[in-house]
Amino acid sequence: MEDIIVSENLKYSYPGQEGFAINGISFTIRRGEFVSVIGHNGSGKSTLARLINGLLEPDSGKLTVLGMDVNEGKNAIEIRKHVGVVFQNPDNQMVASIVEDDVAFGPENIGVEREEIGRRIDWALSAVGMEKYRHSTPARLSGGQKQRIAVAGVLAIKPDVLILDESTAMLDPRGRKEVIEVVRRLNKEEGMTIVLITHFMEEALLADRTIVMNRGEIVLSGSPEEIFKQGEALETYNLSLPRISVISQNLRSAGMDIKDVLKPAELAAEILKNFNNRGISGGESSFPAPADIAPAGEWDINIKNLTFTYSKKSPFATRALNGISLKISDGEFFGIIGHTGSGKSTLVQHLNALIKLPQAEKKYRKPKVKKGQPAPLLPLITVGGFDLSSKKTDFKSLRASVGMVFQYPEYQLFAETVFDDVAFGLKNFNKKLPAEEVEKAVRDSLEIVGLNYEEVKDKSPFDLSGGQKRRVAIAGVIVTKPHILVLDEPAAGLDPKGKKEIMELLHKLHSGWCKTVIIVSHDMDEVAENCTRVAVISNGEVFACDAPANLFKRADELSALGLDVPLTTKISACLEKGGVIIHSDCTVKDFSQKVIEVYAGGKDA
Amino acid sequence: MLNDVTFGQYYPANSFVHRLDPRFKLLALIAFIVMLFVANNFYALAACAVLLFAAIAAARVPLGSVLRSIKGVIFILVFTGILNVFFHSGKTVYWQWGIFKVTSEGIIFTVFLMFRLFFLVMASSILTLTTTPVSLTDGIESLLKPLKLIRFPVHELALIMSIALSFIPSLIDETNRIISAQKARGADFESGNIFKRIKAVVPILIPLLISALRRAEELGDAMDSRCYSGSKNRTKYKKLRFGWRDLLAFLLVGALIAGVVLLNIYCYNIFPQIYAYIRIS
Repeated sequence: MEDIIVSENLKYSYPGQEGFAINGISFTIRRGEFVSVIGHNGSGKSTLARLINGLLEPDSGKLTVLGMDVNEGKNAIEIRKHVGVVFQNPDNQMVASIVEDDVAFGPENIGVEREEIGRRIDWALSAVGMEKYRHSTPARLSGGQKQRIAVAGVLAIKPDVLILDESTAMLDPRGRKEVIEVVRRLNKEEGMTIVLITHFMEEALLADRTIVMNRGEIVLSGSPEEIFKQGEALETYNLSLPRISVISQNLRSAGMDIKDVLKPAELAAEILKNFNNRGISGGESSFPAPADIAPAGEWDINIKNLTFTYSKKSPFATRALNGISLKISDGEFFGIIGHTGSGKSTLVQHLNALIKLPQAEKKYRKPKVKKGQPAPLLPLITVGGFDLSSKKTDFKSLRASVGMVFQYPEYQLFAETVFDDVAFGLKNFNKKLPAEEVEKAVRDSLEIVGLNYEEVKDKSPFDLSGGQKRRVAIAGVIVTKPHILVLDEPAAGLDPKGKKEIMELLHKLHSGWCKTVIIVSHDMDEVAENCTRVAVISNGEVFACDAPANLFKRADELSALGLDVPLTTKISACLEKGGVIIHSDCTVKDFSQKVIEVYAGGKDA
Repeated sequence: MLNDVTFGQYYPANSFVHRLDPRFKLLALIAFIVMLFVANNFYALAACAVLLFAAIAAARVPLGSVLRSIKGVIFILVFTGILNVFFHSGKTVYWQWGIFKVTSEGIIFTVFLMFRLFFLVMASSILTLTTTPVSLTDGIESLLKPLKLIRFPVHELALIMSIALSFIPSLIDETNRIISAQKARGADFESGNIFKRIKAVVPILIPLLISALRRAEELGDAMDSRCYSGSKNRTKYKKLRFGWRDLLAFLLVGALIAGVVLLNIYCYNIFPQIYAYIRIS
């Protein structure tokens, strides 16, 4: 196959920054290949994409695309005709407010004839499965749909190479799946060369070849199987092993002979092979220890009949919540899962009265009830001692006790120094707090999120790294020592190590400052690993609310809702077909133990 | 806070007026406004009204939403009306106090002016109700094309407008999210005096500004990588087409112009005094 991108000893440094963002890398990408690129935040992945596309000019070394040297400025447009990039945020790539106009933008730029543009729009939209939305407004589409439009916009230029620069990072699992399916199809059916830059190890597995970057260098390159075999090496590059490799390792260390495989069904087959070799034809593990049901506490949350409609009384009225009743006990680590638009975010915004119940609004008057008709059901929420349906409730103290961290909280930072930003909430809630106490609280909360107070307090929050910004933002919420902490997608957009660290931080907070932690998440594995109980919200209703071990037994129902299940559940399902029933609490650790238990049991028999 | 901002006034439907060429609609609106001010008697004004209501009927938009557009400018209308009633000079004086006086001519003139302004606002709202912001932009770009000769950046201007339109929804979302986030940290945007409130907006504006800059940077990269290099050698996919509907509507507007001119010439005798005052003003 023809070499399509060739790089030799490529170097690049950002102006005004020390060190090389790309430090002497050499690689070759052939036509028709599907290459995934992984690496920690700041490892140089995105810089590489921008270099290949001619958006940045290398300092030294050689980089050619289809024989054209990117160093020569005149090649830039020609190279971009052959290499298309889809970026992270779909919203920031749209130039028009009608889908077909946006897709037409690229071909228009390179002077394609009108009729041909029409044909290309047809082709590009059908390649991403969005023909039906040709005349829609991108703003009304889901994240996955928008990103598919962005892909179509690049395809319409008819490039040879498609680079996806973390294009799935901001999508929910359903959207991610949609985009990845499109990309795989393009690779298989159209023979398009794909470079997939991603933080999701599960996506990286799909490629023919994986490149691992660390501090501007390529440190590993090979088939995904080869790469993910090197367990510890990956961790030194701030990457995590995919969960499936962790399970394999656990089983191997118990003496089982497990090959490195990357699909749940394959791992299940490996496990069953081991069982067969020992003459175990079936079996059942013990049940996991029942999750502690938190006793009623002072700070229980009680939600009854919660219904909420956006833009009431307008043609755009949309019902977000439809009769939600939910109890969350004091001290739980609670998970809320559901699709984008299922109502999760609306639900949690009720907990600190960012959205007030109608009865708590100043203008509220009791509706007149006609004789013979039942009184309308009014929603009720109590959070600890706060009655959210009363106008008299002190909503300010409620907000000080129920901290809320929004998605991408670093985007709310605004103050000149980290200290001022963290102190902002504290000063809002208690204007008369003495300076020493403010300082102490800010110091404590910066230190609990893992930052060095003296080092960062006078810095501008905008000079920090992405992970540090998020920590500062979280510190700015927990500074009032809220009893309940609600986080919307706390780990979104972070690299695997960053994700792990944030979850560790939440557990630290849970055992200290914030007795109840509620996370809203898309990631089933994350929820299964961390939460005591999980509520599934679907179409504004509570579909189920249970401990992960019980909840994920209903895998079929969840799939019917379009939701994923944790990896362990998938493997269990395959094992069950082979007669082995594993009852685990869905964590990787417990699952491995239960498999080993059945395996060891076979030896005795 | 911003949930109720539905962008633009576009009322989705597939009517005769919706399907007219946006360029034609813009030109027709200008012609209509000119005619409103050329009309110097109630008959000519009535001719304008006939076309206006025919357009509303053909557009299949609820009359309520057309009238609602007046609500926005009602203060200006009433204010102009009051000024005219009290300050217009005339022979038949009903009431006078200092420089204020109410005359029959003043009253007639004010009524006439009110109709003109109402019709003007209603006609403009038909345009915005039946035309998406996108096709309005296209229409404006196409109409401004001759300015390219004097090196006016028509294409760039149109692209800026189009991008601005497509970014409004995500910026509104972002603003809402930042407001909620700062409220959750105890920020108070609803109480205090004006200075306190202005100060309270800083924690919203700064993140919003930074995010807008970040978005702009990403958009720039995305446009570059999609081969954007200005208007040179660029083709355009969408071509505005002048169809039979436009021709029909064109004839109707032509008929209005002819009608207003004829009525101006032949009917001014019926309301001579109005004619006189309108000429003076």
